Amino acid sequence: MENLLQIKNLSKSYYGNPALKNIDLTVEAGEIHGIVGANGSGKTTLMNILFGNPVIEETGGYQGEIYFAGRRIDLHSCAEAIRQGIGMVHQEFALIPDMTVAENIKLGREKTVAVTERLLGRSYSFVDTRQDRIRAEKTLQKLDIELDAGIKVMDLSINLKQFVEIAREIDRADLKLLILDEPTSVLNKNDGIHLLKILQDMAARGIGILFISHRLEEIHQVCHRVSVFRDGELVSRYDQGGFSVNDLARDMIGYIVSKAAAEKRNITRRPVISFEHFSVNMPGEEIRDLALSVYQGEILGLTSLSGHGKLALGYGMMGMYPVSGSVTYENETLARINARANIIKGMYVLPDDRHNLGILADQSLQENIIFTANQIKGKFSLNSFFRSLGLLDRRQAKLHVEKMIRDFDIKCTSADQKVKELSGGNQQKVCIARALTVEPRLLFVAEPTRGVDIAAKEKILNMLIEINRSQGTTIIIASSELDELKRVCDRIAVMVEGKVFKILSPNASEVEFGLALSGEEEVRYA
Amino acid sequence: MRDRRLQLPQLIITVFLLVLVAAAWLLKMDMAVLFNESLVKLVMNGVLVLSLIPMLNVGAGLNFGLPVGIIGGLLGMLVAVNFRLTGFYGFFAAILFSLVFCLVLGWVYGLILNRVKGREEIAGTFIGFSFIPLMNYFWTLAPFTNREMLYPIGGQGLRPKISLEKYFNHIVDNLWVIRLGDIEIPFGLLLFFALVCLFLFWYFKTKIGRAIIAVGENEAFAKLSGIDIARTRLTAIIISTVIAGAGICIYTQSYGFIQLYDAPLSMAFPAISAILIGGSSGKRTFVFEAVLGTYLLQSLYLLTVPIANELLIPELTEILRTFVTYGIILYALLVREKGRRSVL
Repeated sequence: MENLLQIKNLSKSYYGNPALKNIDLTVEAGEIHGIVGANGSGKTTLMNILFGNPVIEETGGYQGEIYFAGRRIDLHSCAEAIRQGIGMVHQEFALIPDMTVAENIKLGREKTVAVTERLLGRSYSFVDTRQDRIRAEKTLQKLDIELDAGIKVMDLSINLKQFVEIAREIDRADLKLLILDEPTSVLNKNDGIHLLKILQDMAARGIGILFISHRLEEIHQVCHRVSVFRDGELVSRYDQGGFSVNDLARDMIGYIVSKAAAEKRNITRRPVISFEHFSVNMPGEEIRDLALSVYQGEILGLTSLSGHGKLALGYGMMGMYPVSGSVTYENETLARINARANIIKGMYVLPDDRHNLGILADQSLQENIIFTANQIKGKFSLNSFFRSLGLLDRRQAKLHVEKMIRDFDIKCTSADQKVKELSGGNQQKVCIARALTVEPRLLFVAEPTRGVDIAAKEKILNMLIEINRSQGTTIIIASSELDELKRVCDRIAVMVEGKVFKILSPNASEVEFGLALSGEEEVRYA
Repeated sequence: MRDRRLQLPQLIITVFLLVLVAAAWLLKMDMAVLFNESLVKLVMNGVLVLSLIPMLNVGAGLNFGLPVGIIGGLLGMLVAVNFRLTGFYGFFAAILFSLVFCLVLGWVYGLILNRVKGREEIAGTFIGFSFIPLMNYFWTLAPFTNREMLYPIGGQGLRPKISLEKYFNHIVDNLWVIRLGDIEIPFGLLLFFALVCLFLFWYFKTKIGRAIIAVGENEAFAKLSGIDIARTRLTAIIISTVIAGAGICIYTQSYGFIQLYDAPLSMAFPAISAILIGGSSGKRTFVFEAVLGTYLLQSLYLLTVPIANELLIPELTEILRTFVTYGIILYALLVREKGRRSVL
């Protein structure tokens, strides 16, 4: 078969840091080409180059040659990429929430009323919404999805949004190459399988597909060829059937990862915090009428499908969203939620949205690590007449930060490096180091391993276990990674519709968890 | 580290300035006098420019509501003049009084700005626009008694320009002037400026100062760390207002007249222009940037007048000034928008 896409000797660096080094890659028409790699391995950079993202040009362009359908191309904007017949399904949705499904799918390719188009030109012609809708629904049917194309996108679930995004690309008659960036990461298992099926159908129609995924099983299942990236280099390439999932994992990381695991304990001493009729009004993640007791010294897992409230607990305790109900912490009923007071009492929250809530991106590691402890608990402050005017004890702070960097193996040039320059995993380590500096007695952690590569993941889980065992910190981990929770937690609470539906032992079977997550009581054998 | 490269507006202004210096030299102007004056102009306007920094750092944007602090400072000076306080005594009394007024005004201003979070710049502009007419009434009705401040005929209402001749005219300008040949270095004035700079430098190293920077950079982060956002913002806005009050005092003693009525209206723009030339992006800003920007912009103003008088029609000077002032603000807004977009 002919090469649809051919990349020769592609290199790209950001401000002197190489992101891609001499990549050679080909995609044939009708091929599903998988790309796997840890975070920071250069996958996203490759996508950005192929889709003409202006970021590339703003940061100095790239070296190397790209041939598409036999011609050399050099893309400067996404519009050019689309004109060439390249489509992309983004990890974060590129849909317009206020528009209907049909409008989103047909955006830019609307069927217009012919008379008006002749009179007023394409830009000012009337859109034939009825036709658009019928066609959009036809496209959706091709995907085996029953969906009213008149619904606004913002009212759809995440799964459906992902399919709408794919439908938009499939709807294009001129599509030759489709790039998918982690399309299944938001889908549940069934929908993921459904999506893979669609991809295989598309490939059968001669469309080339570049498929990026963290889920190695999927890659293993559908890809004709797989390229493994590590640190911007192409480390290996396999043909279908010639590799195992373990091969991919090993090549991605470069060494074998030992998985974090903690011994399960049965702690039922005294509760450190109890919630009763507790509600948090976090949009899309509401907790309603929660009743839960957390015991001193345990690691409690909190899991649910997305939108069922697992993330809201910590945020609620920090006053990020309005709460109601009663909370008893260390035998004291909290009258109202005050973040400062709660931190002083020993609570701390590590947010799931690291970029927006977890770090001061433009500031140094040092400032990030000591910030909360310094501000709220007055650590590392030199004495001063007014406490709020205290200067920083830089020697002490530096000693502490350097110890943290060593202990947690944070990869950085120095304590003064800006946090935004670190990788996701190292940023998360900085967050945990900050939490540790506050010395909390009760730590809420939300999605600690999201967007973190496999090696850093285990390191982070080990850090949490270590904090729990050595300092007796009670930890509540809200996560959708059931496998991780089972390895780390003493108990796992499954939430459904904002309430604790069931508390299971980490040793409970997958089936039990699956049932609990979907809110089913027992399997009834009729 | 922060990108310390000279940015385009700084480059243009610097080149333009060098051309002007060369022209001045060719026209055989007195370079020493021009240099002396540039130092005075730096401090005269510099404190007002520095006053923008706390609000920039807390994320409240460029303080287009600078007239609020200026009016606090004017009130302070009026009280001092009304009691006929002269000399240093008068100047420091004026600063002290303005401190009190600015604390109150800054507090109210901060409360308002906290309610329009994210749109402080436009809100500040209109707070300034609406506050000044209100004060215009006040100036005509205020019960001041010093005849030198009041309209000579009728004896009611404050004059638009009140001379400081008998009070504290040039009092800091002329303090400890070091003479090296033709060059005069106003040591006292520069010391005053350095103290304000040092204060800001120190302030942003303290706990509250670092909280201000954190709030400006990532409000949600600060909130999760238990920082009281509203109070931190209020603190920064009050500090900005207080420094603006001191700024107008130092400006006025150089200028020689207390300017009332609509005069404060246009004072925000040169200050904002200066800090933008210095390299501020409308977010965290360093003292150095404010000083650099003020010196560049004020020297430019200073040189255009005599050179335009020699070479062109005199009226062109004012046009050029206005164009530079507003053009720079527009340019900065454009650059900022571009920065915003490339994040997406």
